[in-house]
Amino acid sequence: MSDPAAIAIRDLRVTLAPPASRDLLGPLSFDVAAGECLAIVGESGAGKSLATLALLGLLPPGLRASGSLRVGGADVEPGSRAHAALRGRAIAWVPQDALAALHPLRRIRAQLFETLRGAGVARDGLHAEASRLFDRVGLPDADALLSRHPHELSGGQRQRACIALALASRPRVLLADEPTSALDPRVARGIADLLDALRRDMGLAVLLVSHDLPLVAALAQRVLVLHRGRCVETGATARVFSAPAELYTRELLEAERLPSATAAARGDVLLSARELAVRYPRAPRDALAPVSLDLHRGECLAVVGESGSGKSTLARALLRLLRTPARGRITLDGVEIGALGARALRPLRRRIGVVFQDPFASLDPRMSAAAIVAEPLRIHAVGERASHRERAMQLLRAVDLDADAIDRYPHQFSGGQCQRIAIARALATDPELLVCDEAVSALDARNRAAILRLLARLKRERGVAMLFITHDLDAARALADRIVVMRDGAIVESGIAADVLSSPKHAYTRELLAARPAALAVPA
Amino acid sequence: MRTTLRRLPRSAKACLGVLAALALCALCGPWLSPYTPEHPDWNALSAAPSFAHRHWLGTDAIGRDTFVRALYGLRLSLLLGVGATAIALIAGMAYGATAGYAGGRTERWMMRGLDVVSALPFLLIVILLLTLFERSLPLLLAAIGGYVWIDLARVMRAEAARLRELPFVLAARAAGATGWQVLRWHVVPNLLGLALVYASLLAAQAILVESFLGFLGLSIDQPSAGLGTLLEEGTQELDSAPWTLLVPAVLLVTTLACFQQLGDALRDGLDVRTAPQAADARDEVAPAPIEAAPVAGP
Repeated sequence: MSDPAAIAIRDLRVTLAPPASRDLLGPLSFDVAAGECLAIVGESGAGKSLATLALLGLLPPGLRASGSLRVGGADVEPGSRAHAALRGRAIAWVPQDALAALHPLRRIRAQLFETLRGAGVARDGLHAEASRLFDRVGLPDADALLSRHPHELSGGQRQRACIALALASRPRVLLADEPTSALDPRVARGIADLLDALRRDMGLAVLLVSHDLPLVAALAQRVLVLHRGRCVETGATARVFSAPAELYTRELLEAERLPSATAAARGDVLLSARELAVRYPRAPRDALAPVSLDLHRGECLAVVGESGSGKSTLARALLRLLRTPARGRITLDGVEIGALGARALRPLRRRIGVVFQDPFASLDPRMSAAAIVAEPLRIHAVGERASHRERAMQLLRAVDLDADAIDRYPHQFSGGQCQRIAIARALATDPELLVCDEAVSALDARNRAAILRLLARLKRERGVAMLFITHDLDAARALADRIVVMRDGAIVESGIAADVLSSPKHAYTRELLAARPAALAVPA
Repeated sequence: MRTTLRRLPRSAKACLGVLAALALCALCGPWLSPYTPEHPDWNALSAAPSFAHRHWLGTDAIGRDTFVRALYGLRLSLLLGVGATAIALIAGMAYGATAGYAGGRTERWMMRGLDVVSALPFLLIVILLLTLFERSLPLLLAAIGGYVWIDLARVMRAEAARLRELPFVLAARAAGATGWQVLRWHVVPNLLGLALVYASLLAAQAILVESFLGFLGLSIDQPSAGLGTLLEEGTQELDSAPWTLLVPAVLLVTTLACFQQLGDALRDGLDVRTAPQAADARDEVAPAPIEAAPVAGP
């Protein structure tokens, strides 16, 4: 071990192949020592994926990597045959989407054994080695899990299996590409802890690629900030995060600071549900156990839970958007809407606006921004058709979009802009209630903070009540007056937001809170 | 639409060009010749292609001009292909979109109904229709359209069922849109791209079905015959006048290949996911746990 760095990169560039010959990434130079974790951070589009692909030697045709790569004391040229020989051996990869990364039709055993055989494990030693690896990644019941197909594992088990696959070839470098961003916070915490343990105990060099700054702060000793393909700043994580030298780094960190909720004037009950329950056809249990809640005028009620907790089902049941009828009663402003026919319900719908998670899928790709925003007006025949355009322009300005965006189509906007258009549409009929179903979950940190500020402003200025469905406790903290915590279709805890978040009563809430990496102390 | 046209792959543009040229020939070509499709030229029976007697592509056994007859045949085949496709497009989209968007029991019954229709022996029914009623263009159009719409309806149903669960459709429903409004504003416009791809494949199929019926002698032959009828006549004169088979065969193959290739090229070209993004729409969705929408019903 004369060479301290497990992997050393010098002047790594990714260029478009001639004739364009444009630099897309780099030059990047960095070392990662054995037992060290370096994080590459940046927003989407910063070039993180490109860096990952270049390091794996898997750039798509048309792109070329240059520079030098030194792994375990041997120099290789990026993209060369020698580089390919390192992939899956000295350099192993942990994917973001484990379900997509595993072969769907083969049992975990076959996939793991294949890799182990490739790594030179003798046939009779395969089982013992597989059990050892599974033990290492925190999957003690190896025999049962090995005989399953990928879809029969939980998200966390799948990600652990992927890490076991990566470890099978005894790599020096682990390239973890957003390893936790597809997972629920509690599961993500487990994976993060596992990666940290592997680094410490096995002396692996971990290259973490992520946009999740709190995760990076918890895992990485050093950090490299990437912006538009260039390295903006690099250094010890603690130093970069506490005293960023560059303006861009400061902006990134700034986005972590979310607005804090301001108490709203609380009016009478606007929406209430009593014993609301949903069971999908042929499902063994209720997706939504009987649930009761009240939403007052002007307040924001956050419904928090992991995936599968029934929070989206609750939102859709309240909106009467489910094809399966819900049991129980729903009243909007004193009017029973739970059993109302579709025709009678329609006029009441203008009093509720909805914003969904995926900003691109929320907008009809064949409609202009003007048509999208004015659609509720068209549905309810509000005013003259000619006035809709003017109104759409007002609404776009209200969500901080330029009025000249009005004739553009969804694919011409970014994710954050699309979500603003979706909010503008939800506000078109001046609703008293805004239902946001994971409205900031698909956005990156800067957009998330901006949309949360926008929602907070709408709540304050328009006095609109909000039902804010989220798995993101920080977002809930930023907006909510009251919080409801859901698990397995039932409410486990509810109360004033500050109380629930500072002194949770239920064990599950405590677990959820503990799972988050500590919030960053953002320098003022 | 203009941008869509510009974005089409080169092969699609080439196919459109060839098809347009074929259609132009079918429409205007016969004017160039002094002959008509049905009147025999007794001075030139089974004449070989030649400029001397102005039968550029020869004549058949009773002296009818191959050039003119083939172009009239192409005219009929194209007309039937496009007309039957139009019928299939309207019927298939309406039926499929309604079934797919409605979902639940309506969808199930509508699709079972479609299964019944597609299980009927098509050829038998067409023969019955053509023998019971007078053979006419509208009847043939209806028969062929009634055959090819079934596949389109199935594809449209599947796509509409996918659209039904997308957030922008949910948002419209949440805003109070009626089923009819959602169909008109969101479902049908978003089906159009896929429908166009299928339409060009259907056109090929419709033309093939027409030539098949013609070959069996079931197509219309007044005032002029379709390409299939010409092929059938051509096979009988293979020894004496092979050009009567070759000319319609080349036209048929070219037309079919163009429609087929157009369909494949359109499928690649109209895919929105491959469309370039605007320069200032840089930031994309950060990866996040996308929760599966609750699926109700099968």
